[in-house]
Amino acid sequence: MMKIHSTVRTTFVLVVAGIVVPSYLAAQTSIPTKPTPNKSISNKSQVGAQIVAQGTTRGAVACARCHGFDGASDGSGAFPRLDGQSAQYLAEQLRHFASGHRQNALMQPIARGLKDDEIEAVAQYYASLHAVSFPSHPVPTQLRDLGKQVAEVGDLSVRVQACESCHGPNGEGEPIAGVPYLGGQYSHYIEVQIQMFRQGYRKSQQMVVPAHNLSQQDIIAVADYFEQASRPAVK
Amino acid sequence: MPQRLKEVDVVVIGVGFAGSILAKELAASGLKVVGLERGHGRHSVPDFQAPAIHDELKYSIRKGMMQDVTREAMTFRNHHREVALPMRQWEAFLPGTGLGGCGVHWNGQAWRYHEEEFIYKTHIEQRYGKKILDPDLRIQDWGVTYQELEPYYDRFEYLLGVCGKAGNLNGKIEPGGNPLEAPRSREYPNPPMKEQYSGALFRKAALELGYHPFLQPSANMTRPYTNPEGMTLNPCAYCGFCERYGCEHFAKASPQTVILPVLMKNPNFELRTESQVLRINLDSTGKKATGVSYMDAQGREFEQPAGLVLLTAFALNDVRMLLLSGIGKPYNPKTETGVVGRNYAYQTQSYVPTFLGEDVHLNSYMAGGASGTVIDDFSVDNFDHSSLGFIGGCYVLCGSTNARPVEFHPTPPGTPRWGRKWKDAVRRHYNHTAIFNLSGTSTAMRGNYLDLDPTYRDAWGLPLLRITFDFPDNDLRMSRFVTHKASEIARRMGAKTVVDSPRTGPFTTTSYQSTHNTGGAVMGADPSTSVVNRYCQSWDVPNVFVVGACNYPQNSSYNPTVTLGALIYWTADALKTRYLKRPGPLV
Repeated sequence: MMKIHSTVRTTFVLVVAGIVVPSYLAAQTSIPTKPTPNKSISNKSQVGAQIVAQGTTRGAVACARCHGFDGASDGSGAFPRLDGQSAQYLAEQLRHFASGHRQNALMQPIARGLKDDEIEAVAQYYASLHAVSFPSHPVPTQLRDLGKQVAEVGDLSVRVQACESCHGPNGEGEPIAGVPYLGGQYSHYIEVQIQMFRQGYRKSQQMVVPAHNLSQQDIIAVADYFEQASRPAVK
Repeated sequence: MPQRLKEVDVVVIGVGFAGSILAKELAASGLKVVGLERGHGRHSVPDFQAPAIHDELKYSIRKGMMQDVTREAMTFRNHHREVALPMRQWEAFLPGTGLGGCGVHWNGQAWRYHEEEFIYKTHIEQRYGKKILDPDLRIQDWGVTYQELEPYYDRFEYLLGVCGKAGNLNGKIEPGGNPLEAPRSREYPNPPMKEQYSGALFRKAALELGYHPFLQPSANMTRPYTNPEGMTLNPCAYCGFCERYGCEHFAKASPQTVILPVLMKNPNFELRTESQVLRINLDSTGKKATGVSYMDAQGREFEQPAGLVLLTAFALNDVRMLLLSGIGKPYNPKTETGVVGRNYAYQTQSYVPTFLGEDVHLNSYMAGGASGTVIDDFSVDNFDHSSLGFIGGCYVLCGSTNARPVEFHPTPPGTPRWGRKWKDAVRRHYNHTAIFNLSGTSTAMRGNYLDLDPTYRDAWGLPLLRITFDFPDNDLRMSRFVTHKASEIARRMGAKTVVDSPRTGPFTTTSYQSTHNTGGAVMGADPSTSVVNRYCQSWDVPNVFVVGACNYPQNSSYNPTVTLGALIYWTADALKTRYLKRPGPLV
């Protein structure tokens, strides 16, 4: 797989979907009344599949156009893979796109074209898939080792904790807590998202310090390391 | 034959919060400082990283961050007529070891004390008269006032990045904070933590009963924070592994996250880990310290000469080091003469397990070490004791620090201790039980003290510290009163079952209560009732300073760390602005 040219990548920067802002940080401050009844997952998935394939009448284009019907996107890294991603995370990101909390000119109108239950349905649909992987691009051993070090151990010199402290062993994520997987995600996408955090297009208190403190080389190494890590099995 | 090393200006015994801050201040003023740390060196990366740090068996059950009991422990008895036996397992309290000390595995509950507490004896006698005190209680004033310490409280809180909402800014009561707190000169550096669901329920019930709930001040960050030393901390992830653990996120204020990297960069400072200090050496007059003797991990003994010795090794260890070194006269409870070991106090803890309905999902595992909603209405002397017949009080905290699966499985009274019914009860109550934590004052008492054990010795052949302690009846009466008040709040929350369980005697070391050991080397204005003067300087050996919770004449309701931080900076200031210019007694 060829690396996409960096200028092309930056054009896509605002398009892509993707990482943290864990929902589990939002502890309850008010006292809820009754839990909302859950629709069955399969039902939601069917509604989701339809939106992914056809979009909605309120203006959301078909997700599959960029992310693929199977969620693997096009392999360029301009679009994140969504298959098997945490449903909580995907739904939260769509809401953040809609509100502008996560700034993205392309995703905002799409997210706004989805009603809340449609967001849930799309998230549920992609979360339930496990698409084939594109072969990852070769990474020099030294770079991969650096990435592994930062991902698994962290870097004391810049006060950055191990990525896997939140993103789990091999970057497999914490689906229920809404922490996305990084293992098997496209390296270009990860790299660009860290830049997004650094520049404030994405907001996550947890990601501020790592995004600012990691060197460009660390970021590339970590992104490459996670692309080669295996994706979690869909539970 | 011990090897004699090159003399340095300052030797610091124990590199936790006190040791690292004092060393940093003195090294920055140009002194050569050596820090001797008994335990291993350790840092946020790689030592505290997940998943290895989230090992409940290793850290919570086997107490992985604590002193090795096979080498060094304390002996304990309730009363001086009994024979003390060594603790073979840490349960009641957890003395840490290793670089950063207890500052690594604490929860981050970041309280100030009240103005009255620093003049406790004066205040209590003025408000209630002497007759409120049981005859064997020994409360006293600190020799330093809250007003004097306020700037140092402020400095320590900004070093840590304490998260909270001021309730009393320069005497003006602020909405959202603790209206009963002592006046602070400026707002907390960071906003308070998220409120947990149990805390929200507690807040509602407490308000209905006329109390003043607020979010507990914490040293678990709520946003990225860069402290005045240039150290940046990350926000807490509410992972539920705080007390007994190091923080992988650089989110809990600890020496490692707030000060040590600055200290380690100063070439005037040298850290020596795995260095077990055996004694502080005195000259022939016994009035001047010449340095310390210590043994390294290979069993080689060294003498480190120094002009100034700072003893910052945790309350109990500080007292033991004074006794081993012959600094100050040991306390004798029969004659009430001597001072070292006197006024040892603890913490009067009680808990109110509050079993809620199955429709109330608390998700208590989402927790930081200091997350929780609390009322201060029954702390120390925040309520009128005149008709109650006791002094002191507790704060009442509802929140959780964790719901870790090995340790957290509350079941109501009457549940079998094992088997199918126990498992069913755990399943039923795990996510529906709030546990109030009542942290109470511990009043110093004539018969509670520390000395050297006549029988048991450590791995270096030195006598262990002997703790003689039981709860004063005053404190048990206090615990009954406040625990009943807390139970009323629990019932107001709609609990199905409330376990109103005040602290009862005798004190035992077999279940966790608190690591807040205080006293034994108390500060004061009178050398006949204190070990150190108001600047934490030994009355007997003026080039020895002792800074720790051992300086507290009695123990407060509140967690001691932030007050210790104020004393650390207060002492650092006295050293820099007065002692170094003119070494000798400051009082």
